[in-house]
Amino acid sequence: MMTYIVFILSVIFVIGFVGFSSKPSPIYGGLVLIVSGGVGCGIIMNFGGSFLGLMVFLIYLGGMLVVFGYTTAMATEQYPEVWVSNATVMGVFLLGLLMEVMLVLYVLKSEEVGVVFKFSSVGDWAIYDIGNSGVFSEEIVGVAALYSYGAWVVVVTGWSLLVGVLVILEVTRGD
Amino acid sequence: MNPLILTIILMTVFLGTMIVMASSHWLMIWIGFEMNLLAIIPILMKKYNPRAMEASTKYFLTQATASMLLMMAIIINLMHSGQWTITKVFNPTASIIMTLALAMKLGLTPFHFWVPEVTQGISLTSGLILLTWQKLAPMSILYQISPSINLNILLTMAVLSILVGGWGGLNQTQLRKIMAYSSIAHMGWMAAILVYNPTLTMLNMLIYIMMTLTMFMLFIHSSSTTTLSLSHTWNKAPLITTLILITLLSMGGLPPLSGFMPKWMIIQELTKNSSIILPTLMAIMALLNLYFYMRLTYSTSLTMFPSTNNMKMKWQFETKQITLLPPLIIASSLLLPLTPMLSILD
Repeated sequence: MMTYIVFILSVIFVIGFVGFSSKPSPIYGGLVLIVSGGVGCGIIMNFGGSFLGLMVFLIYLGGMLVVFGYTTAMATEQYPEVWVSNATVMGVFLLGLLMEVMLVLYVLKSEEVGVVFKFSSVGDWAIYDIGNSGVFSEEIVGVAALYSYGAWVVVVTGWSLLVGVLVILEVTRGD
Repeated sequence: MNPLILTIILMTVFLGTMIVMASSHWLMIWIGFEMNLLAIIPILMKKYNPRAMEASTKYFLTQATASMLLMMAIIINLMHSGQWTITKVFNPTASIIMTLALAMKLGLTPFHFWVPEVTQGISLTSGLILLTWQKLAPMSILYQISPSINLNILLTMAVLSILVGGWGGLNQTQLRKIMAYSSIAHMGWMAAILVYNPTLTMLNMLIYIMMTLTMFMLFIHSSSTTTLSLSHTWNKAPLITTLILITLLSMGGLPPLSGFMPKWMIIQELTKNSSIILPTLMAIMALLNLYFYMRLTYSTSLTMFPSTNNMKMKWQFETKQITLLPPLIIASSLLLPLTPMLSILD
Protein backbone atom coordinates (compact mmCIF):
# COMPACT_ATOMS: atom_id res chain seq x y z
CA MET A 1 0.00 0.00 0.00
CA MET A 2 2.82 2.39 0.71
CA THR A 3 3.90 2.29 -2.91
CA TYR A 4 0.56 3.67 -3.98
CA ILE A 5 0.08 6.04 -1.07
CA VAL A 6 0.13 9.13 -3.30
CA PHE A 7 -2.60 7.66 -5.46
CA ILE A 8 -4.77 6.85 -2.46
CA LEU A 9 -4.24 10.29 -0.96
CA SER A 10 -5.08 11.92 -4.28
CA VAL A 11 -8.33 9.99 -4.47
CA ILE A 12 -9.28 11.11 -0.97
CA PHE A 13 -8.31 14.67 -1.99
CA VAL A 14 -10.65 14.61 -4.97
CA ILE A 15 -13.49 13.05 -2.94
CA GLY A 16 -13.07 15.89 -0.44
CA PHE A 17 -13.30 18.48 -3.21
CA VAL A 18 -16.44 16.78 -4.55
CA GLY A 19 -17.80 16.98 -1.01
CA PHE A 20 -17.57 20.72 -0.72
CA SER A 21 -18.30 21.62 -4.30
CA SER A 22 -21.69 19.95 -4.02
CA LYS A 23 -22.46 22.96 -1.90
CA PRO A 24 -23.61 22.04 1.58
CA SER A 25 -23.51 24.79 4.16
CA PRO A 26 -20.06 26.48 4.41
CA ILE A 27 -19.47 24.95 7.82
CA TYR A 28 -19.43 21.49 6.29
CA GLY A 29 -17.41 22.83 3.39
CA GLY A 30 -14.81 23.98 5.89
CA LEU A 31 -14.84 20.57 7.55
CA VAL A 32 -14.13 18.87 4.24
CA LEU A 33 -11.43 21.45 3.49
CA ILE A 34 -9.67 20.46 6.71
CA VAL A 35 -9.64 16.83 5.59
CA SER A 36 -8.51 17.80 2.07
CA GLY A 37 -5.83 20.10 3.46
CA GLY A 38 -4.44 17.39 5.66
CA VAL A 39 -4.44 14.90 2.81
CA GLY A 40 -2.82 17.47 0.50
CA CYS A 41 -0.12 17.98 3.09
CA GLY A 42 0.45 14.23 3.03
CA ILE A 43 0.84 14.29 -0.76
CA ILE A 44 3.40 17.10 -0.59
CA MET A 45 5.33 15.35 2.14
CA ASN A 46 5.51 12.17 0.12
CA PHE A 47 7.37 14.13 -2.56
CA GLY A 48 9.91 15.22 0.02
CA GLY A 49 8.53 18.64 0.77
CA SER A 50 8.31 18.47 4.53
CA PHE A 51 8.60 22.21 5.02
CA LEU A 52 5.81 23.00 2.61
CA GLY A 53 3.57 20.37 4.19
CA LEU A 54 4.17 21.99 7.55
CA MET A 55 3.26 25.34 5.98
CA VAL A 56 -0.02 23.89 4.73
CA PHE A 57 -0.92 22.70 8.21
CA LEU A 58 0.19 25.78 10.07
CA ILE A 59 -0.84 28.60 7.77
CA TYR A 60 -3.66 27.17 5.71
CA LEU A 61 -5.41 24.94 8.24
CA GLY A 62 -4.29 26.67 11.38
CA GLY A 63 -4.67 30.23 10.21
CA MET A 64 -6.93 30.69 7.24
CA LEU A 65 -9.40 27.89 7.88
CA VAL A 66 -9.73 28.82 11.55
CA VAL A 67 -10.64 32.38 10.60
CA PHE A 68 -12.99 31.03 7.95
CA GLY A 69 -14.63 28.74 10.50
CA TYR A 70 -15.16 31.58 12.94
CA THR A 71 -16.69 33.90 10.33
CA THR A 72 -18.99 31.19 9.01
CA ALA A 73 -20.03 30.37 12.55
CA MET A 74 -21.03 33.98 12.98
CA ALA A 75 -22.99 34.06 9.73
CA THR A 76 -24.56 30.61 9.74
CA GLU A 77 -28.26 29.83 9.68
CA GLN A 78 -30.29 27.80 12.12
CA TYR A 79 -30.45 24.55 10.16
CA PRO A 80 -27.40 24.39 7.91
CA GLU A 81 -27.56 22.16 4.89
CA VAL A 82 -25.83 18.79 5.09
CA TRP A 83 -25.18 16.44 2.21
CA VAL A 84 -28.23 14.33 3.02
CA SER A 85 -30.69 17.08 3.77
CA ASN A 86 -31.27 18.32 0.25
CA ALA A 87 -31.88 16.07 -2.73
CA THR A 88 -29.85 18.30 -5.04
CA VAL A 89 -26.79 18.34 -2.83
CA MET A 90 -26.91 14.59 -2.31
CA GLY A 91 -27.43 14.02 -6.02
CA VAL A 92 -24.43 16.10 -7.00
CA PHE A 93 -22.29 14.52 -4.31
CA LEU A 94 -23.22 11.01 -5.42
CA LEU A 95 -22.64 11.93 -9.05
CA GLY A 96 -19.17 13.25 -8.23
CA LEU A 97 -18.39 10.15 -6.19
CA LEU A 98 -19.58 7.94 -9.03
CA MET A 99 -17.37 9.72 -11.55
CA GLU A 100 -14.36 9.48 -9.24
CA VAL A 101 -14.96 5.76 -8.66
CA MET A 102 -15.25 5.17 -12.40
CA LEU A 103 -12.04 7.10 -13.03
CA VAL A 104 -10.20 5.12 -10.34
CA LEU A 105 -11.40 1.83 -11.82
CA TYR A 106 -10.32 3.01 -15.28
CA VAL A 107 -6.88 3.89 -13.98
CA LEU A 108 -6.52 0.61 -12.12
CA LYS A 109 -7.65 -1.59 -14.97
CA SER A 110 -5.96 -0.17 -18.03
CA GLU A 111 -2.29 0.09 -18.88
CA GLU A 112 -2.26 3.65 -20.07
CA VAL A 113 -4.70 6.43 -19.32
CA GLY A 114 -5.13 9.29 -21.73
CA VAL A 115 -7.79 11.71 -20.43
CA VAL A 116 -6.28 15.13 -21.05
CA PHE A 117 -2.71 13.95 -20.94
CA LYS A 118 -1.28 10.48 -20.93
CA PHE A 119 0.14 8.77 -17.93
CA SER A 120 0.81 5.08 -17.47
CA SER A 121 -1.94 4.23 -14.97
CA VAL A 122 -1.02 3.58 -11.35
CA GLY A 123 2.67 3.22 -12.09
CA ASP A 124 3.13 6.92 -12.58
CA TRP A 125 1.78 7.69 -9.14
CA ALA A 126 4.28 5.56 -7.24
CA ILE A 127 7.33 7.45 -6.07
CA TYR A 128 10.51 5.51 -6.49
CA ASP A 129 12.94 8.35 -6.22
CA ILE A 130 12.47 11.95 -5.19
CA GLY A 131 15.17 13.05 -7.60
CA ASN A 132 17.17 14.87 -5.01
CA SER A 133 20.66 16.12 -5.51
CA GLY A 134 21.67 14.56 -2.24
CA VAL A 135 23.39 17.67 -0.97
CA PHE A 136 20.49 19.95 -0.07
CA SER A 137 16.73 19.81 -0.15
CA GLU A 138 15.43 21.75 -3.12
CA GLU A 139 12.22 22.88 -1.57
CA ILE A 140 13.82 24.82 1.27
CA VAL A 141 16.32 26.28 -1.18
CA GLY A 142 13.32 27.33 -3.25
CA VAL A 143 11.82 29.15 -0.30
CA ALA A 144 15.15 30.85 0.34
CA ALA A 145 15.41 31.79 -3.32
CA LEU A 146 12.00 33.42 -3.07
CA TYR A 147 13.43 36.00 -0.72
CA SER A 148 16.66 36.58 -2.65
CA TYR A 149 16.27 36.24 -6.41
CA GLY A 150 12.53 36.32 -6.27
CA ALA A 151 12.21 39.54 -4.28
CA TRP A 152 9.96 41.01 -6.97
CA VAL A 153 7.50 38.14 -6.49
CA VAL A 154 7.38 38.91 -2.76
CA VAL A 155 6.72 42.58 -3.53
CA VAL A 156 3.94 41.72 -5.99
CA THR A 157 2.24 39.19 -3.73
CA GLY A 158 2.52 41.51 -0.74
CA TRP A 159 0.96 44.32 -2.74
CA SER A 160 -1.79 41.97 -3.94
CA LEU A 161 -2.61 41.03 -0.36
CA LEU A 162 -2.78 44.66 0.70
CA VAL A 163 -5.00 45.55 -2.24
CA GLY A 164 -7.11 42.45 -1.53
CA VAL A 165 -7.86 43.71 1.96
CA LEU A 166 -8.62 47.21 0.68
CA VAL A 167 -10.89 45.83 -2.05
CA ILE A 168 -12.82 43.65 0.38
CA LEU A 169 -13.28 46.55 2.79
CA GLU A 170 -14.42 48.77 -0.06
CA VAL A 171 -16.86 46.20 -1.47
CA THR A 172 -18.48 45.37 1.85
CA ARG A 173 -18.73 48.98 2.94
CA GLY A 174 -22.14 49.47 1.36
CA ASP A 175 -23.40 53.01 1.28
CA MET B 1 -14.66 56.42 -2.65
CA ASN B 2 -11.85 57.70 -0.47
CA PRO B 3 -9.34 59.32 -2.89
CA LEU B 4 -6.37 57.43 -1.44
CA ILE B 5 -8.13 54.09 -1.84
CA LEU B 6 -9.21 55.01 -5.35
CA THR B 7 -5.63 55.88 -6.24
CA ILE B 8 -4.30 52.62 -4.86
CA ILE B 9 -6.95 50.58 -6.65
CA LEU B 10 -6.45 52.32 -10.00
CA MET B 11 -2.72 51.90 -9.62
CA THR B 12 -3.22 48.19 -9.00
CA VAL B 13 -5.38 47.84 -12.12
CA PHE B 14 -2.59 49.54 -14.06
CA LEU B 15 0.10 47.44 -12.36
CA GLY B 16 -1.76 44.19 -13.05
CA THR B 17 -1.92 44.84 -16.77
CA MET B 18 1.69 46.01 -16.85
CA ILE B 19 2.83 42.83 -15.07
CA VAL B 20 0.92 40.72 -17.60
CA MET B 21 2.42 42.59 -20.54
CA ALA B 22 6.01 42.66 -19.26
CA SER B 23 6.48 39.20 -17.77
CA SER B 24 8.21 36.23 -19.28
CA HIS B 25 7.25 33.76 -16.56
CA TRP B 26 3.80 32.21 -16.84
CA LEU B 27 3.16 32.42 -13.09
CA MET B 28 3.76 36.15 -13.02
CA ILE B 29 1.35 36.57 -15.90
CA TRP B 30 -1.30 34.69 -13.98
CA ILE B 31 -0.59 36.83 -10.89
CA GLY B 32 -0.97 39.94 -13.04
CA PHE B 33 -4.38 38.79 -14.30
CA GLU B 34 -5.60 38.06 -10.79
CA MET B 35 -4.36 41.41 -9.49
CA ASN B 36 -6.16 43.17 -12.33
CA LEU B 37 -9.38 41.29 -11.63
CA LEU B 38 -9.26 41.87 -7.89
CA ALA B 39 -8.68 45.59 -8.21
CA ILE B 40 -11.29 46.32 -10.83
CA ILE B 41 -14.18 44.89 -8.79
CA PRO B 42 -14.65 47.98 -6.59
CA ILE B 43 -14.42 50.17 -9.68
CA LEU B 44 -17.31 48.22 -11.20
CA MET B 45 -19.21 48.52 -7.94
CA LYS B 46 -18.87 52.27 -7.58
CA LYS B 47 -22.61 52.72 -7.14
CA TYR B 48 -24.04 50.34 -4.60
CA ASN B 49 -27.25 49.35 -6.36
CA PRO B 50 -28.08 45.64 -6.86
CA ARG B 51 -27.60 45.96 -10.64
CA ALA B 52 -23.97 46.96 -10.26
CA MET B 53 -23.33 44.27 -7.67
CA GLU B 54 -24.81 41.62 -9.92
CA ALA B 55 -22.73 42.87 -12.84
CA SER B 56 -19.54 42.78 -10.73
CA THR B 57 -20.35 39.25 -9.53
CA LYS B 58 -20.88 38.05 -13.11
CA TYR B 59 -17.63 39.67 -14.21
CA PHE B 60 -15.73 38.15 -11.29
CA LEU B 61 -17.11 34.65 -11.89
CA THR B 62 -16.34 34.55 -15.61
CA GLN B 63 -12.89 36.07 -15.28
CA ALA B 64 -11.97 33.80 -12.36
CA THR B 65 -13.03 30.75 -14.38
CA ALA B 66 -10.91 31.99 -17.27
CA SER B 67 -7.93 32.45 -14.91
CA MET B 68 -8.34 28.92 -13.63
CA LEU B 69 -8.43 27.56 -17.18
CA LEU B 70 -5.29 29.59 -17.92
CA MET B 71 -3.58 28.11 -14.86
CA MET B 72 -4.46 24.59 -15.99
CA ALA B 73 -3.06 25.31 -19.45
CA ILE B 74 0.11 26.71 -17.85
CA ILE B 75 0.55 23.57 -15.76
CA ILE B 76 -0.04 21.26 -18.74
CA ASN B 77 2.55 23.31 -20.65
CA LEU B 78 4.95 22.96 -17.70
CA MET B 79 4.39 19.22 -17.60
CA HIS B 80 5.22 18.78 -21.27
CA SER B 81 8.06 21.24 -21.62
CA GLY B 82 9.55 21.55 -18.15
CA GLN B 83 9.95 25.30 -18.22
CA TRP B 84 7.97 28.41 -17.54
CA THR B 85 8.92 30.83 -20.33
CA ILE B 86 6.26 32.24 -22.50
CA THR B 87 7.82 32.04 -25.94
CA LYS B 88 6.17 28.90 -27.25
CA VAL B 89 3.37 26.71 -25.99
CA PHE B 90 4.68 23.19 -26.45
CA ASN B 91 1.53 21.13 -26.26
CA PRO B 92 -1.57 21.49 -28.47
CA THR B 93 -3.89 20.73 -25.55
CA ALA B 94 -2.34 23.49 -23.49
CA SER B 95 -2.55 25.85 -26.45
CA ILE B 96 -6.24 25.16 -27.02
CA ILE B 97 -7.12 25.58 -23.34
CA MET B 98 -5.09 28.79 -23.20
CA THR B 99 -6.86 30.17 -26.28
CA LEU B 100 -10.25 29.39 -24.78
CA ALA B 101 -9.29 30.98 -21.45
CA LEU B 102 -8.08 34.18 -23.12
CA ALA B 103 -11.20 34.24 -25.32
CA MET B 104 -13.29 34.10 -22.15
CA LYS B 105 -11.37 37.07 -20.80
CA LEU B 106 -11.86 39.05 -24.00
CA GLY B 107 -15.50 38.23 -24.55
CA LEU B 108 -15.26 36.28 -27.80
CA THR B 109 -18.15 34.05 -28.81
CA PRO B 110 -19.16 31.56 -27.36
CA PHE B 111 -18.02 33.27 -24.15
CA HIS B 112 -19.56 36.64 -24.94
CA PHE B 113 -22.67 36.42 -22.75
CA TRP B 114 -21.23 38.39 -19.88
CA VAL B 115 -20.21 41.45 -21.92
CA PRO B 116 -23.60 43.13 -22.51
CA GLU B 117 -24.94 42.34 -19.06
CA VAL B 118 -21.86 43.53 -17.18
CA THR B 119 -21.49 46.67 -19.31
CA GLN B 120 -25.13 47.55 -18.82
CA GLY B 121 -25.06 47.18 -15.05
CA ILE B 122 -22.19 49.58 -14.35
CA SER B 123 -21.66 53.30 -14.76
CA LEU B 124 -20.36 54.82 -17.99
CA THR B 125 -16.84 55.47 -16.69
CA SER B 126 -16.52 51.94 -15.33
CA GLY B 127 -17.80 50.61 -18.64
CA LEU B 128 -15.13 52.65 -20.38
CA ILE B 129 -12.35 51.06 -18.31
CA LEU B 130 -13.90 47.62 -18.76
CA LEU B 131 -14.14 47.78 -22.55
CA THR B 132 -10.77 49.39 -23.26
CA TRP B 133 -8.15 48.81 -20.59
CA GLN B 134 -9.21 45.27 -19.69
CA LYS B 135 -8.77 44.11 -23.27
CA LEU B 136 -5.07 44.99 -23.33
CA ALA B 137 -3.77 42.23 -21.08
CA PRO B 138 -5.40 39.16 -22.72
CA MET B 139 -4.64 40.50 -26.18
CA SER B 140 -0.97 40.91 -25.32
CA ILE B 141 -0.79 37.28 -24.21
CA LEU B 142 -2.57 36.14 -27.37
CA TYR B 143 -0.03 38.18 -29.33
CA GLN B 144 2.85 36.44 -27.59
CA ILE B 145 1.54 32.89 -28.08
CA SER B 146 0.21 33.55 -31.58
CA PRO B 147 2.57 31.12 -33.39
CA SER B 148 1.17 28.16 -31.48
CA ILE B 149 -2.56 28.92 -31.56
CA ASN B 150 -4.88 26.42 -33.23
CA LEU B 151 -6.13 28.25 -36.31
CA ASN B 152 -9.51 26.52 -36.60
CA ILE B 153 -10.64 27.36 -33.09
CA LEU B 154 -9.53 30.98 -33.26
CA LEU B 155 -11.07 31.64 -36.66
CA THR B 156 -14.35 29.99 -35.64
CA MET B 157 -14.52 32.14 -32.54
CA ALA B 158 -13.62 35.25 -34.53
CA VAL B 159 -16.26 34.78 -37.22
CA LEU B 160 -18.94 33.89 -34.68
CA SER B 161 -17.98 36.95 -32.63
CA ILE B 162 -18.37 39.26 -35.60
CA LEU B 163 -21.73 37.68 -36.33
CA VAL B 164 -22.95 37.86 -32.72
CA GLY B 165 -21.61 41.37 -32.24
CA GLY B 166 -23.47 42.59 -35.30
CA TRP B 167 -26.65 40.62 -34.87
CA GLY B 168 -26.99 41.04 -31.12
CA GLY B 169 -26.69 44.80 -31.25
CA LEU B 170 -29.53 45.21 -33.70
CA ASN B 171 -32.40 45.48 -31.22
CA GLN B 172 -30.66 47.56 -28.57
CA THR B 173 -31.57 51.04 -27.42
CA GLN B 174 -29.30 51.14 -24.39
CA LEU B 175 -26.02 52.73 -25.36
CA ARG B 176 -23.87 50.61 -23.06
CA LYS B 177 -25.21 47.41 -24.58
CA ILE B 178 -24.57 48.81 -28.05
CA MET B 179 -20.97 49.51 -27.08
CA ALA B 180 -20.69 46.00 -25.59
CA TYR B 181 -21.82 44.32 -28.80
CA SER B 182 -19.54 46.63 -30.75
CA SER B 183 -16.69 45.44 -28.52
CA ILE B 184 -17.53 41.78 -29.21
CA ALA B 185 -17.48 42.39 -32.96
CA HIS B 186 -14.18 44.31 -32.86
CA MET B 187 -12.57 41.57 -30.76
CA GLY B 188 -13.67 39.15 -33.47
CA TRP B 189 -11.89 41.20 -36.13
CA MET B 190 -8.76 41.29 -33.97
CA ALA B 191 -8.79 37.56 -33.35
CA ALA B 192 -9.26 36.74 -37.03
CA ILE B 193 -5.96 38.25 -38.13
CA LEU B 194 -3.97 37.15 -35.07
CA VAL B 195 -2.43 34.04 -36.56
CA TYR B 196 -1.64 35.61 -39.94
CA ASN B 197 -0.20 38.98 -38.93
CA PRO B 198 -0.28 39.86 -35.22
CA THR B 199 0.87 43.42 -35.89
CA LEU B 200 -2.51 44.16 -37.42
CA THR B 201 -4.17 42.89 -34.24
CA MET B 202 -2.27 45.53 -32.33
CA LEU B 203 -3.18 48.18 -34.90
CA ASN B 204 -6.84 47.23 -34.66
CA MET B 205 -6.63 47.29 -30.86
CA LEU B 206 -5.11 50.78 -30.92
CA ILE B 207 -7.71 52.24 -33.26
CA TYR B 208 -10.56 50.43 -31.48
CA ILE B 209 -9.45 51.81 -28.09
CA MET B 210 -9.29 55.34 -29.46
CA MET B 211 -12.74 55.11 -31.04
CA THR B 212 -14.32 53.52 -27.98
CA LEU B 213 -12.71 56.11 -25.71
CA THR B 214 -14.15 58.85 -27.92
CA MET B 215 -17.63 57.36 -27.90
CA PHE B 216 -17.67 56.92 -24.15
CA MET B 217 -16.36 60.42 -23.57
CA LEU B 218 -19.13 61.82 -25.74
CA PHE B 219 -21.73 59.76 -23.87
CA ILE B 220 -20.33 60.90 -20.52
CA HIS B 221 -20.42 64.52 -21.65
CA SER B 222 -24.06 64.34 -22.60
CA SER B 223 -24.84 62.08 -19.58
CA SER B 224 -26.88 59.82 -21.80
CA THR B 225 -27.26 56.10 -21.54
CA THR B 226 -30.17 55.52 -23.91
CA THR B 227 -30.78 56.36 -27.53
CA LEU B 228 -33.64 58.62 -26.53
CA SER B 229 -31.46 60.58 -24.16
CA LEU B 230 -28.69 60.82 -26.73
CA SER B 231 -31.13 62.16 -29.28
CA HIS B 232 -31.63 65.26 -27.15
CA THR B 233 -28.02 66.38 -27.29
CA TRP B 234 -28.75 68.78 -30.15
CA ASN B 235 -30.33 70.94 -27.50
CA LYS B 236 -27.42 71.24 -25.20
CA ALA B 237 -24.29 70.90 -27.34
CA PRO B 238 -24.92 70.67 -31.07
CA LEU B 239 -21.27 70.09 -31.84
CA ILE B 240 -21.42 66.81 -29.90
CA THR B 241 -23.94 65.47 -32.39
CA THR B 242 -21.54 66.07 -35.27
CA LEU B 243 -18.73 64.38 -33.38
CA ILE B 244 -21.01 61.42 -32.61
CA LEU B 245 -21.80 61.16 -36.31
CA ILE B 246 -18.15 61.14 -37.32
CA THR B 247 -17.00 58.71 -34.63
CA LEU B 248 -19.83 56.25 -35.17
CA LEU B 249 -19.21 56.16 -38.90
CA SER B 250 -15.53 55.58 -38.15
CA MET B 251 -16.44 52.67 -35.88
CA GLY B 252 -18.53 51.22 -38.67
CA GLY B 253 -15.44 51.10 -40.82
CA LEU B 254 -16.27 53.62 -43.50
CA PRO B 255 -13.52 55.26 -45.53
CA PRO B 256 -12.12 57.99 -45.42
CA LEU B 257 -12.27 57.74 -41.62
CA SER B 258 -9.61 55.96 -39.60
CA GLY B 259 -11.86 53.04 -38.66
CA PHE B 260 -11.46 51.86 -42.22
CA MET B 261 -7.72 51.31 -41.81
CA PRO B 262 -7.76 48.16 -39.64
CA LYS B 263 -10.56 46.53 -41.62
CA TRP B 264 -8.83 47.24 -44.93
CA MET B 265 -5.49 45.91 -43.68
CA ILE B 266 -7.11 42.80 -42.18
CA ILE B 267 -8.99 41.97 -45.37
CA GLN B 268 -5.83 42.53 -47.39
CA GLU B 269 -3.77 40.23 -45.15
CA LEU B 270 -6.44 37.54 -45.22
CA THR B 271 -6.64 37.57 -49.01
CA LYS B 272 -2.85 37.48 -49.22
CA ASN B 273 -3.10 34.20 -47.30
CA SER B 274 -5.49 32.77 -49.90
CA SER B 275 -8.69 32.91 -47.92
CA ILE B 276 -11.35 34.72 -49.93
CA ILE B 277 -14.64 33.52 -48.47
CA LEU B 278 -13.69 34.40 -44.92
CA PRO B 279 -12.98 38.12 -45.37
CA THR B 280 -16.04 38.42 -47.61
CA LEU B 281 -18.20 36.99 -44.85
CA MET B 282 -16.53 39.22 -42.27
CA ALA B 283 -17.06 42.34 -44.35
CA ILE B 284 -20.70 41.45 -44.94
CA MET B 285 -21.30 40.86 -41.25
CA ALA B 286 -19.67 44.16 -40.39
CA LEU B 287 -22.60 45.72 -42.21
CA LEU B 288 -24.84 44.65 -39.33
CA ASN B 289 -22.63 46.71 -37.05
CA LEU B 290 -22.82 49.64 -39.41
CA TYR B 291 -26.61 49.40 -39.41
CA PHE B 292 -27.07 50.08 -35.73
CA TYR B 293 -24.38 52.76 -35.73
CA MET B 294 -26.27 54.43 -38.57
CA ARG B 295 -29.51 54.16 -36.61
CA LEU B 296 -27.83 55.90 -33.69
CA THR B 297 -26.51 58.71 -35.89
CA TYR B 298 -29.90 59.02 -37.59
CA SER B 299 -31.68 59.56 -34.31
CA THR B 300 -28.98 61.80 -32.86
CA SER B 301 -27.56 64.08 -35.48
CA LEU B 302 -29.57 63.71 -38.65
CA THR B 303 -33.13 64.07 -37.39
CA MET B 304 -34.99 65.60 -34.48
CA PHE B 305 -36.13 62.46 -32.71
CA PRO B 306 -39.80 62.49 -31.69
CA SER B 307 -40.35 63.39 -28.07
CA THR B 308 -42.84 65.30 -26.01
CA ASN B 309 -42.48 69.05 -26.00
CA ASN B 310 -41.45 69.39 -22.40
CA MET B 311 -38.60 66.95 -22.96
CA LYS B 312 -37.04 69.02 -25.69
CA MET B 313 -34.86 70.98 -23.30
CA LYS B 314 -32.27 68.62 -21.91
CA TRP B 315 -31.86 68.74 -18.15
CA GLN B 316 -28.29 68.53 -16.96
CA PHE B 317 -27.05 69.03 -13.44
CA GLU B 318 -23.48 70.11 -14.00
CA THR B 319 -21.10 70.22 -16.90
CA LYS B 320 -19.11 67.04 -17.01
CA GLN B 321 -15.46 67.39 -17.66
CA ILE B 322 -14.31 65.58 -20.77
CA THR B 323 -10.74 64.42 -20.88
CA LEU B 324 -8.69 64.66 -24.04
CA LEU B 325 -11.63 64.87 -26.38
CA PRO B 326 -10.09 66.91 -29.22
CA PRO B 327 -7.05 64.64 -29.72
CA LEU B 328 -9.30 61.58 -29.49
CA ILE B 329 -11.64 62.95 -32.15
CA ILE B 330 -8.73 63.65 -34.46
CA ALA B 331 -7.24 60.22 -33.82
CA SER B 332 -10.46 58.35 -34.38
CA SER B 333 -11.39 60.04 -37.62
CA LEU B 334 -8.41 61.40 -39.48
CA LEU B 335 -5.72 58.74 -39.25
CA LEU B 336 -6.38 57.04 -42.58
CA PRO B 337 -3.75 58.96 -44.60
CA LEU B 338 -1.12 57.62 -42.19
CA THR B 339 -1.61 54.06 -43.44
CA PRO B 340 1.74 53.89 -45.33
CA MET B 341 3.42 54.38 -41.95
CA LEU B 342 2.50 50.80 -41.12
CA SER B 343 5.62 49.72 -42.98
CA ILE B 344 7.71 50.79 -40.00
CA LEU B 345 6.06 48.11 -37.88
CA ASP B 346 7.71 45.15 -39.62
